Amino acid sequence: MKLASVDYVILALYFAFVLGIGWRLRKRISSSGDFLMSGRSVPVWITSLAFIAANLGAVELIGMAASGAKYGIMTAHFYWLGAIPAMLFMGIFMMPFYYGSKARSVPEYLKMRFDEKTRAFNAFSFAVMTIFSSGISMYALGLLLHLVLGWSFDVSVLASAAIVLAYTFLGGLTSAIYNEVLQFLLIVMGFAPLAILSVNKAGGWQGMVARLPPNMTHAWSYMGSPTENPMGVEIFGMVAGLGFVLSFGYWCTNFLVVQRAMAADSMSAARRTPLIGTLPKMFLPFIVIMPGIAALVLSKMNLGYNFPLKATGGPDYDQALTTLMAQFYPAGLLGVGMTGLMASFMSGMAGNVTAFNTVFTYDIYQSYIRPGAPDRHYLTVGRVTTVAGVLLSIAAAYLATRYNNIMDLLQLVFGCVNAPLFATFLLGMFWKRTTAHGAFSGLTLGTLAAVLTLSSTTAEGKGGWIANLYTFPSQMAQNFWIAIIAFSTCLVISVAVSMFTTPRTDKDMEGLVYGLTKVPHDATAKWYQRPAPLTVIVVILLLILNIWFR
Amino acid sequence: MDLRVPSGWFFTLVGLILIGMGVFAPHMGAAPLTTDNVNLYSGACMLVFGLFLLLMAWRAARQEKGSIP
Repeated sequence: MKLASVDYVILALYFAFVLGIGWRLRKRISSSGDFLMSGRSVPVWITSLAFIAANLGAVELIGMAASGAKYGIMTAHFYWLGAIPAMLFMGIFMMPFYYGSKARSVPEYLKMRFDEKTRAFNAFSFAVMTIFSSGISMYALGLLLHLVLGWSFDVSVLASAAIVLAYTFLGGLTSAIYNEVLQFLLIVMGFAPLAILSVNKAGGWQGMVARLPPNMTHAWSYMGSPTENPMGVEIFGMVAGLGFVLSFGYWCTNFLVVQRAMAADSMSAARRTPLIGTLPKMFLPFIVIMPGIAALVLSKMNLGYNFPLKATGGPDYDQALTTLMAQFYPAGLLGVGMTGLMASFMSGMAGNVTAFNTVFTYDIYQSYIRPGAPDRHYLTVGRVTTVAGVLLSIAAAYLATRYNNIMDLLQLVFGCVNAPLFATFLLGMFWKRTTAHGAFSGLTLGTLAAVLTLSSTTAEGKGGWIANLYTFPSQMAQNFWIAIIAFSTCLVISVAVSMFTTPRTDKDMEGLVYGLTKVPHDATAKWYQRPAPLTVIVVILLLILNIWFR
Repeated sequence: MDLRVPSGWFFTLVGLILIGMGVFAPHMGAAPLTTDNVNLYSGACMLVFGLFLLLMAWRAARQEKGSIP
């Protein structure tokens, strides 16, 4: 693929706007809260889009098209079974505690509800995770640009890091959030034409159904046994693993996304952030998954389009999206699409860096290194951490070029980190008997259970370093079951230990636990500003989608 | 800063560039699997979207001005 000069003009125009937004926002920053938490003043439509944009990095964008080609419409479960119910739960039940507790981060909530060691465990593991995630995202960007456009890996990585650093350093979280929204709009405008063109060419949905085996075009009908569907998962693993533990864990406890909702300007807006976010989120599969399925169909239609192959043979699903762009996009729109891809890589990185600097500044530096300094000092620390975060990400990206397999492994591990954490939050927020010792032992042993399960089972030739006790039919199945095991371990251990340790008094936990917190009832607000009617609309739409593609 | 302003300008400009490509160079770098003037249609959509964002921002700014006597 080769870009024309008009494509470069569009690319340059986008980066000019991105940097311009950072430059204009720099004046709004006068405290560490402005820099790290947007001063809790971002309008709700922006936090809602940022909430879902933070998860729409290019790794997801390419991965969803790849999964579409590999697993068919079942991939939509990541949205229709996983993300949407989790986002509703987050907005309705969990946000009152996050926003109401006045905690500045997820680890800080753990400190308020439980104790210092639980916070430390979460803060450190989260900090490490964000750096590696952002490094892996940069590595993927460099690799993709090299593969598709022949650009130099070093230039791609360093230039994108410099741009991310510039706008996050200038405008902090607000700048990252604003640019995530711009990137989200660009993704939608830049990839919707691809979805429309490729699905039309493949004969529309009916044509695709006719040309593919039925288990690729039905999301629910073939889930009775793992051998019947392309994902190799049975209904329990899917619903409990993906639908409950993994999705709820990600959307309800990952500070990267929670931080976006916490930047909203009021409790009511913070609760509506994930709820409003579900509306565009629900329809994203049509833009990000459909092209992948269409690519598979097109490759069977003798149109001159062959499905991309790996050098070693076998289909290269990760290239489904970019090869399709080359087939349908002329110079101009191709520039918009490539800009969208690059933008999503960078906003993924910016998201990680802005979450990292908040957790480091408040939960590590202010808590353990230098407490009690004037706020100006923490603003400086926040800025320095931003630079350090970007530099560490670059280091992680280069580490990934050397130790490819370790990165694969890390991604697997990160996939399970939020599973036990969700059990901790569920107990912490809804069962006031949960004690700090219970939470900490559950969390550490739950995480350990995840790592142990990963290293004693295999799937598609991965995992099983200690022993091979069980072989899963697919990596998806392995992932879902690790999550279920980690979650259950954390739940059981936390409950057991809590029963034998002394709980805190009710007075200490006001605003932190269900039953001791005044949940707001926006009875006077207009109907579309209240959580309940919004939720009903979302649930109805969700049911229609699930039944339609059953 | 109202985010609708820079986003609106961005999509307006990109829309105009794509429409320009669609009108003046419809065959440049044409894509193998389609004969449609993809640039023209997508550009028109982006232009409309960009102008819509600018209109919304302009209305919001005017209302805000009106509410402060």
